[in-house]
Amino acid sequence: MSGRPVPVPDESSAPFWSAAAEHVLAVARCARCGQFTMPPDVVCPHCHTTDPRFEFTPVSGRGTVRSWTVVRQALLPGFDDDLPFVLVDVELAEQADLRLIGRLLDGVGADLHVGDAVAVGFEDLAPGVAIPAFELT
Amino acid sequence: MSGRFAASNKVAIVGYAHSQVCRRADRPLGVLAVDTARAAIADAGLRFEQIDGFVSSALLPSAAGQVVEDGVSTVSSAWLAQHVGVKARYVAGFEGIGQITGCVSIAVNAVASGAADYVLLHRALHNPAGRYHANPMREARGLQQWTAPQGFFGPLAMIALPYNEYLQRFGAKRESMAAVAVEARKNGARIPWSFWHDRPLNADEYLSAPKLFDPVCRYDCDIPVDGVAAFVLSSADRAKDLPHPPVYIAGYAAGAPTRRRLPLHWPLDDILDGGAQMARRLWAHAGIAATDVDLPQVYDGFSLFVWLWLEVLGLCPPGEAHRFVEAAGIDSDRPGGLPALSGGGALGNGRMHGIPQMLECYLQLARRAGDRQRDRATIGLACHSSPHFGGAIVYSAEPF
Repeated sequence: MSGRPVPVPDESSAPFWSAAAEHVLAVARCARCGQFTMPPDVVCPHCHTTDPRFEFTPVSGRGTVRSWTVVRQALLPGFDDDLPFVLVDVELAEQADLRLIGRLLDGVGADLHVGDAVAVGFEDLAPGVAIPAFELT
Repeated sequence: MSGRFAASNKVAIVGYAHSQVCRRADRPLGVLAVDTARAAIADAGLRFEQIDGFVSSALLPSAAGQVVEDGVSTVSSAWLAQHVGVKARYVAGFEGIGQITGCVSIAVNAVASGAADYVLLHRALHNPAGRYHANPMREARGLQQWTAPQGFFGPLAMIALPYNEYLQRFGAKRESMAAVAVEARKNGARIPWSFWHDRPLNADEYLSAPKLFDPVCRYDCDIPVDGVAAFVLSSADRAKDLPHPPVYIAGYAAGAPTRRRLPLHWPLDDILDGGAQMARRLWAHAGIAATDVDLPQVYDGFSLFVWLWLEVLGLCPPGEAHRFVEAAGIDSDRPGGLPALSGGGALGNGRMHGIPQMLECYLQLARRAGDRQRDRATIGLACHSSPHFGGAIVYSAEPF
């Protein structure tokens, strides 16, 4: 165990985390309008249906960097040994403005630019618990 | 909301009080609040029993899961009314981001509608013990499950992403932000109750501070404090009989994010687009244009907001704020400089959540700013929080 916060899956997220455990990125998709949403909501933010019946659909995991920061102080437990680390704000390829934030596993030495291509990677925190992150491609 | 605010200039600020701002007060926050409220009521030339409305926003901004105790770590209007010893007929609080815009608009609406004749509006800020935003969570539940396991957490990470997005998009350098921090601290150093009284900051100190969440360093952030401010609002008619010149509320507009995002994810375009929409509503509501404002107090809880507010308000061209401030565009001592942080802001006073912007508008427009009094101060604008959330309020020295 790394000591980092582990996600507690709930009704809205269980399929996401079980897919992540298999190193698959699956994003909530509205059964009515077909649009992806991150994170899922009780109402579809795109078509506003109150019965979105989100399906967690595997996506390519590819995307582009929209911004990033280097984290130099840990406000959460379990990250001290990782300092400093890079967080990237990624727009996923599947849909305009579908954004996910994760650690960049290439480290702080990476030469980063807006628009750089990344692909999802996973950090195994504990048995059955994997967290999506990104790597430059 | 469309067109001019029906109650424009019909409600005014008629008095104020401000406690000393310090890292941790030696008296409980509620005690500071009661003393400050009483001082504001006296300043307005009123007796306690005349106050019939209490309005506030009680948010404790720490993300650390602190225990919230009314009168100790927060002060609600209900608590304050009870402890000042007033039987109020109208008590309300704003919940959400944009606390000052939220509670000022509630107070204005209450006076304009006749729900209350004299409203005591206050904001009490507390700095809890321990590291302000540190959180010992081992499990991430609810919305935090989407960000905390990845290490994305807290307001510094929140602001660092759009800050870097701005630098990359417009070819700006973080060194250009020194002018913002230096200007805020220069003005804050002149304010007796400020945490930074007599302690200006120079550009070398700013530039040599280590980065915390690139490109953010400590001087890009306001310092958490204990402090209380209180204002009394009443109708323009009643204000005529009170000792100080009234400062009228001409209009207000709040932001309203339209896109669902991860917690604390504020992409640059959300802020700029939402802010531009808010500004259009604001000018229509107040019946003015940006060029009418001679005291635009921009919000600066994080330094980046100064650049973004200048741009969404049209006070400089899009993408140019970094050059504008670097060229002394907001030097309030320079003839022709925009007095955007003349009240010291949050960076120059401490984390008082938009109170410095509101107070500077009041003091300058009521011509109560003492040594700091500016010649030209007729239309003031107090901005709060991020443009896409917080909104802004237009104040006027004269009804129009």
